[in-house]
Amino acid sequence: MIDANRLQILTESAKYDVSCSSSGSKRVNAKGGLGNASVGGICHSFTPDGRCISLLKILMSNDCLYDCEYCPNRRSADVPRAEITPDEICELTISFYKRNYIEGLFLSSAVFSTPDRTMEALCETVVKLRKAYNFNGYIHLKGIPNADDALIMRAAKYVDRMSFNIELPSEKSLKLLAPQKTRDSLIMPMKKLKDASDYDRLNKIRSGKVIPAGQTTQMIIGASPESDGQILRLTEALYRKMGLKRVYYSSYIPVVESPKLPTAGAGLLREHRLYQADWLIRFYGFDVDELCGEGDNLDADCDPKCAWAMKNMHLFPVEVNTAPLEMLLRVPGIGARGAYRIMQARKYTALDFDNLAKMRIIIKRAKHFITCRGKFYGSESRGAVRAALTLGRTEENAEQLSMFSSADIALSARTGEI
Amino acid sequence: MTYYLTDGGEAAFYTAVFDAYNDKDAIITSQNNIQTELGSEIVEVVADEEKCGRVRKKLRLLDGGAEGEIRLVLRSCDATKETVALEYVRLIVKHGGAVRNMLAHPTVLEMNDLRQKVTGEVHKLKGFLRFMENADGVLYAPYSPDNDITDLVAPHFAERLKNQRFVIHDIKRSIAALYDGREIVITRADSADVYLSEYEKYFEDLWRQYYKSVNIESRPHEKQMKGYMPVRYWKFLPEKRGQ
Repeated sequence: MIDANRLQILTESAKYDVSCSSSGSKRVNAKGGLGNASVGGICHSFTPDGRCISLLKILMSNDCLYDCEYCPNRRSADVPRAEITPDEICELTISFYKRNYIEGLFLSSAVFSTPDRTMEALCETVVKLRKAYNFNGYIHLKGIPNADDALIMRAAKYVDRMSFNIELPSEKSLKLLAPQKTRDSLIMPMKKLKDASDYDRLNKIRSGKVIPAGQTTQMIIGASPESDGQILRLTEALYRKMGLKRVYYSSYIPVVESPKLPTAGAGLLREHRLYQADWLIRFYGFDVDELCGEGDNLDADCDPKCAWAMKNMHLFPVEVNTAPLEMLLRVPGIGARGAYRIMQARKYTALDFDNLAKMRIIIKRAKHFITCRGKFYGSESRGAVRAALTLGRTEENAEQLSMFSSADIALSARTGEI
Repeated sequence: MTYYLTDGGEAAFYTAVFDAYNDKDAIITSQNNIQTELGSEIVEVVADEEKCGRVRKKLRLLDGGAEGEIRLVLRSCDATKETVALEYVRLIVKHGGAVRNMLAHPTVLEMNDLRQKVTGEVHKLKGFLRFMENADGVLYAPYSPDNDITDLVAPHFAERLKNQRFVIHDIKRSIAALYDGREIVITRADSADVYLSEYEKYFEDLWRQYYKSVNIESRPHEKQMKGYMPVRYWKFLPEKRGQ
């Protein structure tokens, strides 16, 4: 049985992997079995950094052959090493699951011995968990680059989700910072898994589907010089060509020192803006070209939807009671859920601002872009709108604004109030 | 003003709807410690099969989904739940059909809010409920939810922990769901004798170690943690106990 010390090493080595979602699978429990998957996912706890714990996220080993520059477990790093056996993983997962601590297992590993041997050990673990322990809860398995396809496809039959981390937003950066991983070693297995999923879907295979919850990937932001525009174009291509469920961004934290890496972290705001843009592309009908030029970065001061709206003021204001869904989705401050609620509610009555407020639609930002029954309560001046919508956190921003706008607007920029 | 006092059950509620339907100042409540206004009347409602049946039949005819929504809302801890549900029934009858998409109507909004508080808590506790293993292998989970949801939570765990035996114990309402590996029984339970298995502390300690290790200390965001995991749930979480 695993002890606290090894658990600590193998958890701390795994925690920088962002993905923790347990959604997307409808796996049912078997007779006499333990566990099932909940399609919406379930969070079981939250840590003081505000992240959720859904899955038991550990490495099988942190003793790595590879020497990826950014990784705390790289071969040349002087850190305590540990490993855990397949049976120990199974016992720990079952014991935690029974107590409802977790929704399932997120298993990954450093590349020990060879990629094939590593993948084989991971595969053995998940097969054991499913067959010997009759466990039907959620399993997310990390794929090992350069491992044999047959091993990857075998594992895919038993797990709910697999992921190969793209690691860095360009091949050039990958060569520089993770020389043992090639673009092909990450992309090819993704493609193979996608083809297998497509085959199951086309042939209407219901039980025993490969990776029912699909694939995800992750890349580190800010360890290499790519712009937000490049990152978002890569993201869009991954969604389109690889059919990924999610692309995760991990803003770079300097945990290791290296002359090839920046000394400062990328900060959470950049990561946040990228996620906002990612959501706009997937759920709001935005095209990446509308949000960010290829060599550009997203505006740090306001979210990408506001930035787009302020560049396209000629399209606003729109009348809430008649605007098509596509346009409601583009109003800053109105989210996807809010837009659908408006579509429903306006079938019965003409909505006014009071109705929107009662429906819990935040009109603080939206009011500059909408009319309700012809009434407009926003600001006519562009400068005032910009001041109301940007973070306006720093003295610098407020100073810049005060050069071309009135005193009260400059004040509102400082306080963030309108 | 007339207060229609029910026992909190569905049958009594529908009976009260029958009695109070045309009474504009009616308040239906199951709170037995209500503060009544001066000069108001209190009517104790006893479930009546015929009245209840007529209301349900009419409701089913107009909107097949309303009964289910009302069933959920009656679990709420909110004192106004019965009166809101009465308004909802009136609105359905007046409109002659389903009204759930009238999202700007105050009654529909109130109904949705109450319902979402109940279903939201059910979802939260699917994650935050914690079992302890007893010496005889039975899993025991004490908790005190805001709303009366034990029989809504139990089926989730019965499906998931098919090969286990467990008890989910609402210590605030003295209600327990018992599962013996075959079926769920809801029963009254004031206190429970718990003899923990010898491994229990070991796994609890491992879990606390895991919780500590998986946190990224350089990025504190306590506000977000508390937003997603309200402090009132902490006392039953081994990883937060004593914090």
